[in-house]
Amino acid sequence: MSSQKATPQIRTRSLKTWSAFGNLGRRPTEYEITAHNMNHTTGAIPLELGPDVNGNAWLLEHRDATKLRVADWDLFRDPAALTYGKYVAEQDDQETYIELLLEQFDRDGADRTLSVQALDMLGRALAPSRYLGHGLQMLSAYLQQLASSSYVANCAAFQTADQLRRVQLNAYRTTQLNRSHPDRGFATSERGHWENDTNWQPIRRAVELALVEFDWDRALVATNLVVKPVADLLLIDLLGRQLAAAGDHLDALMLDNLWRDSRRSQSWTAALTSFLLESDSSNGPVLQGYLDEFAPLGFAMIESGVQLLSVDGDQESAHLAAGVRADWATIVEAGGLRLGTG
Amino acid sequence: MLLNRDDWYDTSRDLDWTFTYVEASDAFPARWSGVGAESADAWQAWDEPFRVSYRDYVRIQREKESGVKAVRSAMMRAGVYEKLDAGHVAASHLHMGTTCMVEQMAVTMQSRFCRFAPSPRWRNLGVFGMLDETRHAQLDLLFSHDLLKFDPRFDWAQKAFHTNEWGVLAVKNFFDDIMLSADCVEASLAASLTVEHGFTNIQFVALAADAMAAGDVNWSNLLSSIQTDEARHAQVGFPTLAVLMETDPARAQTSLDVAFWRSTRLFQVLTGPAMDYYTPLDQRKMSFKEFMLEWIVNHHERILEDYGLKKPWYWDQFMHSLENGHHALHIGTWYWRPTLFWKPNAGVSKDEREWLREKYPTWEDNWGVMWDEIIKNVNDDRIQDTLPVTLPSLCNLTQLPIGSAMSRHDLEPHQLVYKERLYSFDSEISQWCFEQDPERYAGHRSFVDRFIGGEILPPDLGGALAYMGLTPDVMGDDAYGYAWAKDYVTAEAG
Repeated sequence: MSSQKATPQIRTRSLKTWSAFGNLGRRPTEYEITAHNMNHTTGAIPLELGPDVNGNAWLLEHRDATKLRVADWDLFRDPAALTYGKYVAEQDDQETYIELLLEQFDRDGADRTLSVQALDMLGRALAPSRYLGHGLQMLSAYLQQLASSSYVANCAAFQTADQLRRVQLNAYRTTQLNRSHPDRGFATSERGHWENDTNWQPIRRAVELALVEFDWDRALVATNLVVKPVADLLLIDLLGRQLAAAGDHLDALMLDNLWRDSRRSQSWTAALTSFLLESDSSNGPVLQGYLDEFAPLGFAMIESGVQLLSVDGDQESAHLAAGVRADWATIVEAGGLRLGTG
Repeated sequence: MLLNRDDWYDTSRDLDWTFTYVEASDAFPARWSGVGAESADAWQAWDEPFRVSYRDYVRIQREKESGVKAVRSAMMRAGVYEKLDAGHVAASHLHMGTTCMVEQMAVTMQSRFCRFAPSPRWRNLGVFGMLDETRHAQLDLLFSHDLLKFDPRFDWAQKAFHTNEWGVLAVKNFFDDIMLSADCVEASLAASLTVEHGFTNIQFVALAADAMAAGDVNWSNLLSSIQTDEARHAQVGFPTLAVLMETDPARAQTSLDVAFWRSTRLFQVLTGPAMDYYTPLDQRKMSFKEFMLEWIVNHHERILEDYGLKKPWYWDQFMHSLENGHHALHIGTWYWRPTLFWKPNAGVSKDEREWLREKYPTWEDNWGVMWDEIIKNVNDDRIQDTLPVTLPSLCNLTQLPIGSAMSRHDLEPHQLVYKERLYSFDSEISQWCFEQDPERYAGHRSFVDRFIGGEILPPDLGGALAYMGLTPDVMGDDAYGYAWAKDYVTAEAG
């Protein structure tokens, strides 16, 4: 039997889009076509297995028994409307830009002329932050795994990948700095800083505590409203500005570029919390309660983090801390929540 | 100075630290990492077989995306789909309905590696795997969405795993287990090593070749592009195996033996019929058995032996199943065609039968005689006698019909009672798999368990079809409207 054409035997209805959209009233975007209704585990027993197996027990406890109430998770949309294709294209452009920066500054021999002030800050703040980046990578991946909606899971997946980007760029710079300044402990001393420096400890503590928050709603708040935005404000945004002031324009520009990824995380997180607040009136107190519970971790991160980034003593630290707190409050408020005074 | 990847790569994976504010065992629970405290140090030796930088990844993948998109647009403009053979089209319906959501599930499995894997090197590589699988799910969705206007069966690319269609339940049961319930080590052995490295070659390489021969350049190109990613990230199973062979070789052997059999059975239903029956005869490249022998027996299993593993104890039974299992599943799925969301091609015209005899010397004795009955009924205009009125009994391990693992002469029952419940199996091997870890399987209720338990109403085939979500516009029927059976009219009359 060969070469008979795919002529339907019976008359079939013609579909314009996924039946799961119902009556959407418009043509869905490519983003929606690739993100809609792609979590099959939202039934009474999540996985097609016995109810007590590992995966089901975990999802039932840490996802389905949590306090958030949402009638239709698939109404959430990522403000960036990221698809895989759009993500790799956008990030390829950003990495090309970074390559050009690295080439230009290398031609100029910039690392050899870095000030002591800049080198000190690179050693104590920038280089050890690859451990922080890895912590945020693990935390972001967890948000993907237990998200009830594929729209949300995709945001968290791209956020996870952003963290690896940060870690690898960090390793690149750490290696370069080690070659131009071999006596400064680059590429060998970072774990010691991360584990032992007083000013890193509240940050490491917040990461470790967030890593054992397994209920998805608590993990969302701990990671994307507290640990990650505060860490990014300190060790991407503020660090970049401090390095620029110390004359290290290459790292400042690279961090400024990584800040784009941070902003994208903040944007979808604000959209998600707004969505949750609108979905059910009980969600606001739940999210605010978690935020109030975890916020002290963020305030402690700020108090010590600015010490890593300060060059002019306590007065400057206080000023920097106030700025980070204000920026964090703005990020939280964009999603309809409030930050206490700490 | 500017750096090469290998200059900075080791620093980028030097990421472990000593936890002091919480217990490391709380942050990396063994139920997800798959590693107890006693062997945690051994996993420091985990070493990736390939290196990827984020920079290179996004550049290369962007190029791949552009390539697939260009072919997709060109083929849609050229109206290629409308010219495709009905048998080939059935293979693409089957593939999209049963694969698309599995790709999305694999995103979550890889994400689990990113979070819980016992080595930061593995956690980093998980990121690229997670992105790859996101790509595959989205490519499948876009491909299928483009074709919705021609056939509502492509709706099942997105819909299938939200239904109770029995074949989908079998696929879901397997992948929910090895991707979404298994710890990282088990998932790596079963999904990365066995399914991705071993078996997806059949699904992607073989089907890509068949699709190209059938003129389906779009699908062929899609499958090939996906396979370039799979071939890379599937390799993460090997360092996992290497460490496990040092710490717990017995666990490695059992895990792989279970995964190998379950994968075999699944691909006998997903790929076997598509390769040996749906693909038009003049476009077939290799038989399913030939492909399995080359890619699984010669290639994959030989690699495992290099790691010190033995062939599974059931090897002779596996080879016997290779001769028969997919033929059994093909005649079964064709017979129960109203329970499918694609239109199976019987694939037993005289020419096709000659090909089957040549490839499978025992085919006539085992399966030809059964098809003769069907052919006679078709040509006597008794189509109703070729259709089911009941449901088959299903295996509590594979979720596939009892009697579909070996030849039609191998029908001795395989059953056991566990915690006062009777479990039935399609083979001695499936029963053995169950016995290795009963709690992993015992709580599940198969489609037939639900039917007998009164969950499916009315308790007849119509009720079952409704429960499966099958509507008349997608419900399976013979792909060619039985035209192939006319081959036999003259001979029978004579």
